[in-house]
Amino acid sequence: MTITEKLEIGVAPRRIEDVYADLLQDKQRVIVDVRNRDDFARWRVDGRSSLQIVNIPYFDFIEEEDESVAQVPAADEVLVVCAKEGSSQYVAEILQERGINATYLAEGILSWGGLYDTRTVVDAPFGKVIQVARPARGDLSFVVISEGQAAIVDPLRHIDNYLQVVHDERATLTHIFDTHAHADHISGGPALAAETGAAYFLHPYDAIHPLDMLPATLPYNYLADGQTFQVGQFTVKVIWFPGHTLGQVNYLFTAPTGQTYLFTGDGIFLRSFGRPDLGGRGEAWTPILYASLYERLPQHVNDDTLILPAHFSTLDESAEDGIFAASYGQVKEQNEALKPRTLAEFTEYVLGNLPTFPKEYVEIKRVNAGLIQPDEELASELELGKNICALADA
Amino acid sequence: MSVTFDELLDVKGAKCPMPLVKSRKAVNNLGVGQVLKVVATDRGSVADFQGWAKTAKNIELVAQEEGADNGDTVYVHYLRRTK
Ligand SMILES: [Fe+2]
Ligand SMILES: [Fe+2]
Repeated sequence: MTITEKLEIGVAPRRIEDVYADLLQDKQRVIVDVRNRDDFARWRVDGRSSLQIVNIPYFDFIEEEDESVAQVPAADEVLVVCAKEGSSQYVAEILQERGINATYLAEGILSWGGLYDTRTVVDAPFGKVIQVARPARGDLSFVVISEGQAAIVDPLRHIDNYLQVVHDERATLTHIFDTHAHADHISGGPALAAETGAAYFLHPYDAIHPLDMLPATLPYNYLADGQTFQVGQFTVKVIWFPGHTLGQVNYLFTAPTGQTYLFTGDGIFLRSFGRPDLGGRGEAWTPILYASLYERLPQHVNDDTLILPAHFSTLDESAEDGIFAASYGQVKEQNEALKPRTLAEFTEYVLGNLPTFPKEYVEIKRVNAGLIQPDEELASELELGKNICALADA
Repeated sequence: MSVTFDELLDVKGAKCPMPLVKSRKAVNNLGVGQVLKVVATDRGSVADFQGWAKTAKNIELVAQEEGADNGDTVYVHYLRRTK
C-alpha cells in the first residue's frame, strides 16, 4: 500500500464568501465532505436542492484511495471540505493528481458556520432594509435605516456585523426588536443594548422560560400589541402573533409611500411557518397559532406587503441575489403550509409534521432569558447546525 | 490506564490529517497482533480514529485516553494490527 504524504501540487483554497455566491448561483454543484461520518451527520454545508454533497472521510482515501476517488461525483469543479483545512487540502491534492479539478474550503467547515452575509433588500428615498444572514443556520436578521436612525430586528449573536452596518450607514441605533425569545440561536439583542445603549424590546410573555417557568433576569423593554414606534420615516406597529411562542410579535414597518414590510420572526416563513411545540405545549398552542395565521395576520397585510422572516430552510427559497423576502401575495401562492384549512385539518397537519425537538433549544432559551451565561465554546456548540424552527415538509 | 504497547508514535503538534497518515504507516510496520501507542495534540483525532478503526481493514482501536503533557492536553490512541 502506498500512502500519500505530501504531493507537490498546488491546490488553491477557496474563501467561503466565494463558495456561498456560487452556491446561490448554482455554480458549485459538488461538495466532498471528508470529515468523519458523525460530524457530517451533525451539520454540513447546505446549498440548493441541486447540490450534490457526499461524505467520504479522508481516512477512507488513506485506506482505499482508488475506491474513494471513484465515489467522487463527476463535475467541472469539486470542492473538498473538512473540519479545519488540512485534510481537505490533502484530499484535494489527491483528486487533482487523478485529473479531477478540485479545490478546498479555506479554514474548513468553521468558516461556513461563521459566515455572515449582508445584502440590501430595499434601497429607497425613505430608507433601507438590510438583510444580515447566517446561512449555515438558516438565520435571517435585519437592519432598517431611515434618516440616520437604525433599528435591528432579531439580531444574532455576533453583534459586530450589525455595528458595522450601522456604522457604514452613518446611523445611530435606537431600537433593538426581538420578535420572540428564540430557541434556536442566542439573541444578540441584550449585548447590542449593553454596547450601544439602544433599547431592547421583547414581549413580556416571552420573558418567562416556558419550561422552567422562571422570569428573565436580563433588562428588556415590554412590548404591547398595537404599540407603535417611529424609526426615521417608518412607522412601526407591533402585532402580537402568538403560537410559535406566546409572546411572539411581528413588526409592521410602513413607509411614507404606504408600502409595508412585515418582519415575521418565526411566524410565517416563505415556505412554511414556525412550529408551535418548542414551548413544550404543542397541542395547546396549535389553535392559538391557527388564529394568528388565519385571523390576525390578514388584518394587517395586503398582497404587496413584503414578508421578511427570521429563517429559511433551504437556499431554494432565495433567488440568485441571496435575498429571502417575498410579497405576501407570492408567499400565499408558494407556501403549502399556509393553504386554507379548518382548525381540525390544521391541527392534524401541524401535529403530524413536527420535526425533532433539539434538546439544546431548552438551554438556548435559558441563555436568552439571562438564566445562564455560556462561554464562547458552549455558545458555539449550542448553535451548531441548521435551525429546526419550521414545521417539517409535509 | 496502562495498556501495553510495542511501538510509540509521537505526533504532538501535527495537524489533521498527519496524525492518521503517520499512524497508518506505523501500523503497516507492526507485526500482526502488535499495538501502537499514538500521542497526539489534535483533539479531532479522537473521533477520527474511532471512525477510521470502524472501516480500516486491519486495525482495532484498543483504547483511547486523555492526558497532560507540559500543560497541553494530549490524546492517546492504542491501535492493534489485526492482520
Ligand atoms: Fe423561534
Ligand atoms: Fe427560530
